[in-house]
Amino acid sequence: MNADAKAALHFSRRGFVGASGALVVALSVKPLARAATVPAGRPLTAFLEIGRDGRVRLWSPTTEMGQGTHTAHAMIIAEELGVPLSSVQVETAHPADPFRRNGNMSSGGSWGVRAWATPLRNAAASARAVLIEEAAAKFGLAPAGIDIVGGEARQRSRRLASIGDLAEGAAKRPLPEKPALRAEGARTLVGAKVDRLDIPAKVMGAPVYAFDMDLPGMVVACARLSPVFGAEVDHVDDRAALKVPGVERVVPLPGGSAVVARHHWAAMKGAEALRLRFKPTAHNRLGSDAISESMKAALSATPSAPTKHLGEAFDAAWDSAASRIEADYEVPYLAHTPLEPWNAAVRFNADGSLEVWAPTQAQDRLLGAITEASGLPPQKVLIHTTWLGGGFGRRLRDVEGIRDAVLVAKAVGKPVHFFWTREDEIGQGWYRPAQMARMKAALDKEGRLTGLWVRTAGPSMVMDFAAPATPIKEGGLDATSVQSLADTRYAFPNYRLDYVMRRQPVPTAPWRAVGSTQNGYFLECFLDEIARAAGADPYQFRRTLLADNPRALRVLDMVAERAGWGTALAPGRARGIAFVESYGSLCAEVVEASLQDGRPRVHKVTVVLDCGAIVSRDGALSQMEGGVVQGLSAALGEEVRIVRGQAENRNLDTYQLLRMPDAPTVIDCHILESGEAMGGVGEPPLPPAAPALVNALFALTGKPIRRLPILKA
Amino acid sequence: MTRLKVNNSDHEVEAEPDMPLLWVLRDLLGLKGAKYACGIGQCGACTVLVDGVAQRSCVLPLSAVGDQPVITIEGLGGNALHPLQRAWIEHQVPQCGYCQAGQIMQAAALLQESPQPTDEEIDGAMAGNLCRCGTYLRIRAAIRQASSTMGGRRA
Repeated sequence: MNADAKAALHFSRRGFVGASGALVVALSVKPLARAATVPAGRPLTAFLEIGRDGRVRLWSPTTEMGQGTHTAHAMIIAEELGVPLSSVQVETAHPADPFRRNGNMSSGGSWGVRAWATPLRNAAASARAVLIEEAAAKFGLAPAGIDIVGGEARQRSRRLASIGDLAEGAAKRPLPEKPALRAEGARTLVGAKVDRLDIPAKVMGAPVYAFDMDLPGMVVACARLSPVFGAEVDHVDDRAALKVPGVERVVPLPGGSAVVARHHWAAMKGAEALRLRFKPTAHNRLGSDAISESMKAALSATPSAPTKHLGEAFDAAWDSAASRIEADYEVPYLAHTPLEPWNAAVRFNADGSLEVWAPTQAQDRLLGAITEASGLPPQKVLIHTTWLGGGFGRRLRDVEGIRDAVLVAKAVGKPVHFFWTREDEIGQGWYRPAQMARMKAALDKEGRLTGLWVRTAGPSMVMDFAAPATPIKEGGLDATSVQSLADTRYAFPNYRLDYVMRRQPVPTAPWRAVGSTQNGYFLECFLDEIARAAGADPYQFRRTLLADNPRALRVLDMVAERAGWGTALAPGRARGIAFVESYGSLCAEVVEASLQDGRPRVHKVTVVLDCGAIVSRDGALSQMEGGVVQGLSAALGEEVRIVRGQAENRNLDTYQLLRMPDAPTVIDCHILESGEAMGGVGEPPLPPAAPALVNALFALTGKPIRRLPILKA
Repeated sequence: MTRLKVNNSDHEVEAEPDMPLLWVLRDLLGLKGAKYACGIGQCGACTVLVDGVAQRSCVLPLSAVGDQPVITIEGLGGNALHPLQRAWIEHQVPQCGYCQAGQIMQAAALLQESPQPTDEEIDGAMAGNLCRCGTYLRIRAAIRQASSTMGGRRA
C-alpha cells in the first residue's frame, strides 16, 4: 500500500462504505501481488471492491459526463467477473497512481474507454480467478470446473456460494500475473445495447450534480469576477451587497469577490449589488476585429513554424499550375457552455481533512489547486467527482474556480457551495481558439492536385492551457493548430503545412475535438472548392486522394453509399461530404440540407465511424448523435464576440446554441468495427458535421462559406 | 410566510416575494430537479408546471405563484414513473442529464395541451429547452412514444 492508502481517512460519503473484509483489486497492468482487505476507511487506491453482500463497486478512473464511460466500465467488469450489471455501482476515484496515465488523472482525448478497457478486464479476471480458487478450496473441488455466473460461484449448474461469501477468503490469495480472460464468443454485454446506469436517476430529477449538494450547516457563495480577461481588482464596494437580506459577508477573491449568503438567490442578488472596479489592462480596447486582423497578417508573416510537411516543391507546382485556388478561412472563439456552471461544495472537516465535491474532468489539476489554496498536503484532501452537467473539455481546467471555492470556505469556516453565474461561466474564457487558415491549391490541366499549402494562424491553446508552464518556444508549433492536418491520410502532393502563433489575452482550452474542429472545417471545405475548380465530384475527388488508404476508403465509401450520394434529391436540397480523423477514429459524414428563407435546414446526416471496436453500442451512437448536433451548432450560430477586452455575449440569449427546431430530422449512424485498435467515440463524430453542412450549402448556392458561424449575429 | 402547493403537498415558506420559484423549490423545499443554468429564462432547465402551464421558474417570482399548484419533476409521476419518464428511459435520452428535468416538464405541458402533437408542434414547444449534449432527436422520439402510450397517435 502506498502512503495515500496508509493515511486512509475516516469519512462519510454518499453510497456505501466498503465493508471490512471486502475483496479489493488493483486496476493496473501489473496487478498487486496480493489482493487487500479493506479497512473501515477505504484505502484510496482501491479499484474494484466486492463486498460481503456481493455488490461490486468500481472506482472508475474517468469522470461520467454523460458520455457513458461509467456504464461501459461497468459492462466490462460485469461481463468478465460474471455478475449482473445491476450489481455494479460505479463512482469516480480520487486521484491516485493506478488511476493516472502519464502521471495525471483526467478525462479527455476520448480515452475513457479505449485506455481502460484492457486494464479493467484484467482486474475483473483477476478477481474472478481468486474467487474461483477460494470456492475450489472451500468446497474441495477443482478450480477448472468452477465459474462465476450471476454473482455466484457455480460448478456447472450447482450453486456453491455467492461472491459476497467468498470475498474475504479470496482477498487473502495472491492475484494471478496473467489472469485468464473469458472467450470472445462468450461475451454478451460488450458490444451490445445496454441501458445506462445513470439514466434513471437523471430522469427522476435526483440530486446528483455538484450544484445539488447540500451539506449540514452549508452556506452559499456566488462569485462575481472581472469581465475583462485577467484584470485585477482595484476596489470593492460591498455596502449594497451586504444590505441584501440573507447575505452574511463578502469575501475578496484574486479576480473579484464572492458574496456569502444563506441561499443561492440571496448570494446572486448580493453579487449583482457589488460595485467592483478593476484595474485597466493592456487589452481593455481589444475586440474581435483586431484579433482577426492580427491573424490575417500572420497568414502572410515570416517566419512560420513548419511541420513535417515541408512541401519544398510546392512553389514550383504553384508557379507552373494550370489553375490556382486560394482562400482564407476563419472561425471564432467558441464557448463550451456546459449547462451546469462551475460550482463546488467544500468542507473543512474537524479532523483537519478537506472534502470537495466538484464536477471535474481533471482530478489531479484540481488536487494541485486545492492543496495550494488550502495549504493542506494531498493526503488530507478527498475529491468527490460528481456527474458533470456537461464537460466538453471545459472542466479540464477550473484552477481559479476551485482556488476561490477553497478560499471562501477557509474564510467563512463553514461548508460552502461556491458557484459562478452563467455570465462568468461563459465570460471567464478558456474557449476553443479563434483561428484562420490560408490555403492554396495548384491544379494541372487535367484538374489533378499538384500542390497544397495550408497555413493556420492564431492563438496557441497549448500555451494558454499549460500556463504558467511554457511548453512551446517562441515561434514554435502548437500541434493542436495543425491537428488532423499534420497526420492526414490524404495523399496531397507537394504538401506544405505550417503555423504562425499569435497569442491573445483571451484564454483558450480544449473544446470537444480541439483543433480537429477548426481544421476539419478549413480543409474539408477547401477540398470542395478545389473539387469544384477541377470539375470533380467532391466524393470522387476525395477517393482519389485516399486511393492508397483502404481503411479510409472503406469509411468514405460507406458513408457515400448509405447517404445515397449521387442519387436524386428533392428540389432545393443538396448533399455535402466530409472526412476527418481524430483521436484514433475515422469519421465521414454526409449532410443533406436546404435553405429556407436563408436559414439552413438539415434534413439528414449520415455518419460512419470507424472506431476499431466498441464496448457500449448505444454509448457510441449517442456520442455520434450528440457530436453531430454540437458540430452543427458551432457551424450555425456559435461565436464569442470580444469587445473591450471581454466577452460581449455572456448568456444563452446571445450565445446561440442550436435549438430543437434546427436539429436534423434524421441522424443515421453506422459504427464500423474494423478490428483496428480501439479509437475514441466522444470526439471523432464532431468535426465532420460543420464542413459537411457547409459543403451542402456550397453545392446548393455555388458560394463558399469561409467564415463561421453561418448565421452571424 | 407564503403558502405554496407543490407536488400536491402544502408548504409554508419564508422568503422575499421576489425570490424566483426555482430557488424556493431548490433551497427552501429541497427539490433539486429544476436546475439553474442561465437564470434569464433562456434555456428551460428550470421548467416546472404552474397550474398546468410550463413556466421558467428562474424568472417567476414567488409572489406570482399564489395558490396555483406547482408540479416539478419529482412530482410528475406521483408514485410511479410518468409515461414521459418511461419513454425517456426506453430511448436512453439523457447524456449529462442537466437539462432533462426541464425537457420532461416542458414535454408534459405540451402533451397536456396537445396530446397528439405534430413534429412541428413538438419542435415549437421544445424550442426553449436547450440541450448542449444534443439529445434532441431522442427527445422527439420519446415524446412521440409517450404521446402514443398516453392515448395519442402511434409512435
